[in-house]
This record gives sequence, C-alpha cells and structure tokens, in this order.
Amino acid sequence: MVKPINDFIERFQSEIRLNEKLIVEKQNRYFLLSEKLESFALKDFFYAGIYLGKVKDEKFFPSFNLLSMIAQSKANKVVVDDKTEWLFICGRDVFRQGIVKTMGSKSKGNHTLVLNRHGECLGFGRITRKLDEAGAVIENVSDIGDFLRREPSKAK
Amino acid sequence: MSGKQFFIDRYTKLGWKYEDVKLKQAIRTNLMNNEKANVVERLRSRGVQLTKIPFLNNGYWVRKSKFSVGATSEYLLGLYSIQETAAQIPATLFTDVKDKLTLDACAAPGGKTVQLADLMHNTGAIIALDVDKQRLTALSNQLERCRVKNTIVYMMDARNASKLKIKFDRILLDAPCSGNFATDREWFNRRTLEDVNKNAALQKEILSEANGVLKDDGEIVYSTCSLEPEENELNIDWAIKKLNLQVKEINCYGEKASVNIFGKRLDSSIENCKRIWPGQTQGFFVCKLGKRASAW
Repeated sequence: MVKPINDFIERFQSEIRLNEKLIVEKQNRYFLLSEKLESFALKDFFYAGIYLGKVKDEKFFPSFNLLSMIAQSKANKVVVDDKTEWLFICGRDVFRQGIVKTMGSKSKGNHTLVLNRHGECLGFGRITRKLDEAGAVIENVSDIGDFLRREPSKAK
Repeated sequence: MSGKQFFIDRYTKLGWKYEDVKLKQAIRTNLMNNEKANVVERLRSRGVQLTKIPFLNNGYWVRKSKFSVGATSEYLLGLYSIQETAAQIPATLFTDVKDKLTLDACAAPGGKTVQLADLMHNTGAIIALDVDKQRLTALSNQLERCRVKNTIVYMMDARNASKLKIKFDRILLDAPCSGNFATDREWFNRRTLEDVNKNAALQKEILSEANGVLKDDGEIVYSTCSLEPEENELNIDWAIKKLNLQVKEINCYGEKASVNIFGKRLDSSIENCKRIWPGQTQGFFVCKLGKRASAW
C-alpha cells in the first residue's frame, strides 16, 4: 500500500521510512496517523493525522507535509535566494543564479526539494540540466503556492 | 420583525449605542511552526506593519501592508493564520488542552481547529466535525498548510456527535449563527428575528448533544459571532436550566453579559459570559460551561 510513497521518497535519495502500520489509505489519499489517532479513526473519516498525498491516474502527488518530512532528512535539496523563493511559489522554474546552496544530487533528471534560506521546504522540482549551467535548471513540479491556486477551483 | 432600526433598538435596550465599525485585519502566529522562525520579524522586514493585540497572546493587527498577507511564503508555510480578532479568543479559554481529547463541533473552515492544535502542541486528539463538503475541503487545506498532526475530520452534523461513541475532555462549540453587521455589510437587510430564532433552536440542539458527549469533568466553550441574545444569553440560560450546565468564570476581552434581557431575568451566573460589541473586533459572545458536580 505504501509503495507509491516510498518510491516517491526514494526519488530524493532520502532514506526516511514511515511507519507503515500507521498509514491509512482513503479513496486514494494517504494519511499517517499517530497511535492515539488510530484508536479514534473510523472508516469514514474525511481527513486524519498527517496528509501524505494522493494517487491519481497511477501517479503519486505528495502533500507539502510529506515534502517537509523528506526535507528534514538527508536528501536532494537546493536552497534559493529570496527573489527565487517568491518566483518559485508563483509557479516559476529555478534559475542557476537563484541557487545559494546545493545538497545531494546535481544530476539532470533527478528530483530535488527547493528550500528557502530559512530551510523551509517550498516544494520540489526536476533538475533539467546540470545545476552549474546557465538558465533555468530546475523545473517547478509542485510548490506551496498551490494552497492559493486551490481556492478558485474550490469556489466552482 | 427586521430592518436596521429594529435591531439597533434592540442593541440600545441591551445597553449599547450603535456605531459603524471598520474592522482591522488580524493574524495569529502558529507557535508550533515558529520554534525557529520569527515570523513577526520576517513580516516586518518585508514592510508589513503589525501591532500586537493587547488582549491576545499570539494576535497581531495588520496596520499596513503593500501586499496581501494571505499570499506570503510565511502564510503558505503555516507560520501564521489570518483570523479575526474576536475569533482568536474561544480556543484560549480552556483550562488546559495538552494531551486532551477535544471535539471541535462546527469546525470549518478551520481557523479555530488549527489554533486548538497549536495550543495542544499537536498532542492528544481533535475530532473536527462539519457538514459541508466544500467547507471540509477548506478545513483540510488549513490543516495541511499549518502542519496539524493531531486531528481527525468527519463529515458529520454536530447534532449526531454521540454516534462517535467518544466522551470528550474539551468541546469547542463555535455555533453556526446569524453573524453580525460588522462582518457583513448587508446584514441588516438580510436578517430577520425569525432567522435568529431558527439559529437559536439549532444551537440548543447542538448544545444538548455536546452536553451528552462531554466527560463529567469536561469543559465546553460556546461562542457565536451573533449579537442577538436569543443565540447567546438566552441559550445559555436555557442550558443552565435544562441541561444542568454551569457557567464558569473566564478572563478575556469583552464585557460581562447581562442577566436582564428585554425585561427577562436570567440566571445570575450568566454574568460570567462575555459579550463583545463591535469596535476593536467584530461582534461576539463567548462563555465556558461545565457539568454541575451534582450531575456526575
């Protein structure tokens, strides 16, 4: 059941492992419960504990909670400057000159978390060319600006 | 029985002179996400002018900002929430909440649920209920944004809370209500006394159910953003007499509620409730209830 989550975590070369016994799937959405919550979670809950992400069309879409958990471990990460932070949460890609620090893989095709200078996870992207080359080097896949972008669809 | 003058006359009889108000936007810092991040300093460094709200521990008024405080990375990271000033009061009134089993009976859109989780340091468990799917989605987004870990959400009418077969230490009952003119420009045109009475009846049903799922030594914090006594003092007077609840003393912003409503004398302990007339905040009413020892 947790394969999509573990596969996703591995993309960042992270070694964190979640307690599989406490992961619950509900309509293709995954939640990590505490032992205390587990005792109160009936089958028909709407949301519970830590939301980890969802599977849609066989693809895993992580939550920002899961990305933050990965970011606290050894993993592929880049730290970006303030201007790039703003552009990234607006959905833009990361340019080489906006990166102030790199941890883990710099290889094309790999995934990396994007952190601000406070070490807070803003989302993740795919490395599209070597991180020391000029131009856009990380394609934005998901960023916390999504919380705002969810609003209009909610109103429909 | 409706219209602006009708309601203003009622407020006058309750001892308040009507005045138009312009509410200040307020934020509340989420302490559990701020152990390392000083969000107030970060916002100030971006030019956001904040004033500490004197009667709230973690509340700030936004005096001036060049951009929406609902679109900063600090907001999106859950370091703070946008929450109306008076709405920040109820969750703070419980005696203690850490490790407690807490019911948020009418939870969406989730501002107070997040605040409760913050005050609980993500310990214990919160069971959050609401009936509207869209509002539950908004609640879920808030929980994810603010990194809440201790909450289970059910699509459930609070009047059915006993179906959960759980007894709670703490119950936050921020009841669905008629609202007030300070947050709704069209309030006087839209509301009638009939609406108010309908909401008051619903609130009684929820109060009754909440009483049924409360542990003997538990606490209910009841609040509304209505100024109408039918939804506030009169409902609490009913709860004292019919549900055998008692009103506990609270120490927060607001004035003592009146024990004399339109000539009707209420239980003297109603004075322990707080009524907040619009001005620094929106209109609000809040109190803390517990079971009488004799009822145990």
